[in-house]
Amino acid sequence: MSAKAQLRIAGGTVHDPANGVDGEVRDICIEDGRIVQTLPEGAPRLDVRGMVVMPGGVDIHSHLASSSCNHARRLLPEEHAADPAPAPSLDESAGSPRSGTGGTVPTTFTTGYRYAGLGYTTVFDAAVAPAMARHSHAELDDTPCVDGGFFVLMGNDEYLLRQVAAGERERARDYAGWLLGSAGGYAIKIVNPGGIEAWKSGQRNLNGLDDVLAGRGVTPRAILETLADAANGLKLPHPIHIHCNNLGIPGNAAVTLATMQALAGRRAHFTHLQFHAYGGPGWSSGARPLIEYVNSHAELSVDVGQVMFGPATTVTADGPVEYLLHKSSGRKWVNIDIELETGCGIVPLLYKDKAAVTALQWAIGLELFLLSADPWRVVLSTDHPNGGSFLSYPKLIQLLMDRGARDQGLKQVNPKLLAGSTLADGLTREYTLNEIAIVTRAGPARLLGLTHKGHLGPGADGDVTVYARNPDIAAMFATPRYVVKGGALMVEEGQLRRAPAGRRLHVRPGYDQAVVPHLRRHFEAYSTISFENYPVQGITDEPIAL
Amino acid sequence: MSGTSRVEHVTCLGCGCGCDDVSVTVSEGRIIEVTPACPVGRAWFGDGSIPLEIRRSGQPASLDQAVAEAAELLLEARGRMLVYIGPDLTSQAQRHAVALADLLAATVDSATSTTAAGGLLAVQQRGRAGATLGEVRNRADVLLFWGMDPAPRYPRFMARYVDPTGTHVPEGRRGRTLIGVGVGPDPAPKEVDLTLTIDPSEEITALSLMRASVQGYAREQRSPGLTQAIAIANRLAKARYAVLVHDAEPGDEPRNSLRVEALIALTQALNGPTRAALISLRAGGNRVGAETVLTWQTGYPFSVDYSRGHPRYDPAERGVGRLGSDRFQAALLVGTPALDGALSGTLGRMSTVAIGPRASQTPFATRVAIDTGIAGIHEAGTAYRMDEVPLQLRPPLEAQRSANEVLRALVGAVRAGLGRSQS
Repeated sequence: MSAKAQLRIAGGTVHDPANGVDGEVRDICIEDGRIVQTLPEGAPRLDVRGMVVMPGGVDIHSHLASSSCNHARRLLPEEHAADPAPAPSLDESAGSPRSGTGGTVPTTFTTGYRYAGLGYTTVFDAAVAPAMARHSHAELDDTPCVDGGFFVLMGNDEYLLRQVAAGERERARDYAGWLLGSAGGYAIKIVNPGGIEAWKSGQRNLNGLDDVLAGRGVTPRAILETLADAANGLKLPHPIHIHCNNLGIPGNAAVTLATMQALAGRRAHFTHLQFHAYGGPGWSSGARPLIEYVNSHAELSVDVGQVMFGPATTVTADGPVEYLLHKSSGRKWVNIDIELETGCGIVPLLYKDKAAVTALQWAIGLELFLLSADPWRVVLSTDHPNGGSFLSYPKLIQLLMDRGARDQGLKQVNPKLLAGSTLADGLTREYTLNEIAIVTRAGPARLLGLTHKGHLGPGADGDVTVYARNPDIAAMFATPRYVVKGGALMVEEGQLRRAPAGRRLHVRPGYDQAVVPHLRRHFEAYSTISFENYPVQGITDEPIAL
Repeated sequence: MSGTSRVEHVTCLGCGCGCDDVSVTVSEGRIIEVTPACPVGRAWFGDGSIPLEIRRSGQPASLDQAVAEAAELLLEARGRMLVYIGPDLTSQAQRHAVALADLLAATVDSATSTTAAGGLLAVQQRGRAGATLGEVRNRADVLLFWGMDPAPRYPRFMARYVDPTGTHVPEGRRGRTLIGVGVGPDPAPKEVDLTLTIDPSEEITALSLMRASVQGYAREQRSPGLTQAIAIANRLAKARYAVLVHDAEPGDEPRNSLRVEALIALTQALNGPTRAALISLRAGGNRVGAETVLTWQTGYPFSVDYSRGHPRYDPAERGVGRLGSDRFQAALLVGTPALDGALSGTLGRMSTVAIGPRASQTPFATRVAIDTGIAGIHEAGTAYRMDEVPLQLRPPLEAQRSANEVLRALVGAVRAGLGRSQS
């Protein structure tokens, strides 16, 4: 009988908000990859006295493993040349690590290593076309150190639009269940409901919740209602994950608020809210009414999609917005229309603090964080790599925790559009360590329905991040002292020690099989991929129990 | 083994169309029928018979011996070797090939770097406006074939993506306008609604003027060819969804290297007045898969040099031609390379390890040769269609020895060897 792998993380100050632990000195014990109540005295110890202990980070919304990311990688050889990533030297017997390249869209191995280096142990790709799911699984197979999965794009898919038009909401639900299982995905992602199909069919876009998709009689409202009910009906661990209509357009806060209202009590997650929080008709902040609505509606959650100054790459299924960005920025542009399902657009960008609109976007993101009343429903994200790389999270944490750093930032940025901004008027709030623990791990884990992530209670995965205290908060969060994954030491002071394969997080909902022959006929009529060859085979990890 | 069996929904990799609606009939371990019949596909499947030998310096060897010898040779040549990925491998096998290049500080390249590099480099400059092939079928109401006829090299392209009805084209072929532009000797398709032949010397001018016209500032031209080209651009701009088609791997003869970039620019510009996509036709096997795997593992689609311990892009140097330089001591050929006679001489003089279909039958001497199955005929896994849609392979024949497994074993042996040398 082999000894069980054990580790006692001893003497640290623990922030485990899911279990009501806010800065208490206690030991965290791990056995066989899971947190346990206690361990025998002689168990291996990691002495972390004086340090801050949190669960491993959970990224609810990133773009790291998809065909769109790979198009972006291919588009950016100049970024890769500027950021070579030699293979880390792992501990003996920990296998051969891989080299790669970085930039805003790093190669897969490098992405895994860098997330690990930041203390993140779980990451979701937020936008995968189901026809490309096989590709995402292959990229995730080559993304070590983090457990992960992806959300499946719906809301512009031909079959769904037909069911919505016909009022066949139950069949739409069964289809969504079939599609999630076929793709090996985790949640339903809606991007610009109806608007991508409008872009592909010449209508260019849909701007309002009740705009009608030409010739179909389908509105964004009907799509959202149908899929919100589908997610609930299928008992998915995460509700619909919504990228609203009109991303990036002045005045779009109105349609965002209307979308929240339209869901009328249904659970929903609004992603990268910053990009949907612009007042109008000119450029101004629309953050306050949105976050106040979220504050008073417990069924809603958001991630912020903070813009950070520096290089970024916009990668989205929202084809029409990328066309506008290409026209306004003059930067190179990729558009790929994906048959029967969705779109894909890519434009690299540089967010400059001297650019008035960028400064406004930066301020709006911070307003959303600072005006939120419930950190459990506001998740830290930059919509990597859209608002900035995930590597900028430590600087973002500093902006939230340190008013001085924030005021310093405010002095640097172009003030032209900040008149009347709540941030410029002096928001004094400073996030506590416990609130940071909520917005970077406990909250997203709970919103994702991951009962074994984001906390340090018995039974949780042994994913733990330990930070050495540092008055420079950005430095503290950029280089954790230790990162433990599944009970084994993975990172020590910025050095990767091990690079374990991640676990795939996916669902296989039940659904009424009556949808299958109907779907098969649809495939036979319009798809260039055989129905039989469409579902992804051979995912080795078991689906999450629903 | 006796009797006849039939395998449905087989994915054909004869060209880049990636038809996955093929039925293959097998009898006595041989392919006897392929339907729908397409000459390229039928030639690609053949009867499915392949050699199954393992050779060490020309002599029969066991798999373990061959893998051990290959690992030793490659480790000796660390930093001075080329890994060359042929097109007849699954993406699973290609992942192992790139891993070997990384571990061995090798240069890695694929079969497409000589034929398709121009298009890939143009995309890196400009981006592109593209679509998956199903969007052609479901949306295209005007198609422009530029300097190419799909019939000989992509025989089912029309039948799969142009003739059928689509969600937005209920009349199928009758609901579409086809335009063919011949460029000098490069013909347009025969059955089109409108044709034009352009002198090669005017090709790039024509594409530039077409773009200018779409953007609203073209002047009248004196050349009748250019005038007609502008008229075609105006027709495209009035389409509901225009699709431009060119051959991104037009064979050995070099075409104007500016053609692809000019077509990309025109297609992007067409997205102002309407919607448009450029379809770049790609040849067979899983060549797009090699580019895709290289991109996610290195950031670059071809010609990657790991000799400094991380991927570096070297797009000016391509293919196996570089083996003539004395930088290289060994070559690892995975899958079947495209070779000319002179290169065979070079390969015969260096330490060459060949792993893949018909590796034992190379026209040059190898230190190690391990025959494997062909992706899609004997080996299951993933291959990418020309439009980068990943397809499941459903091989009609059983794999006697899979490239994926052999390469996995070689990665293990090389890792073990590296571990020994470091301790």
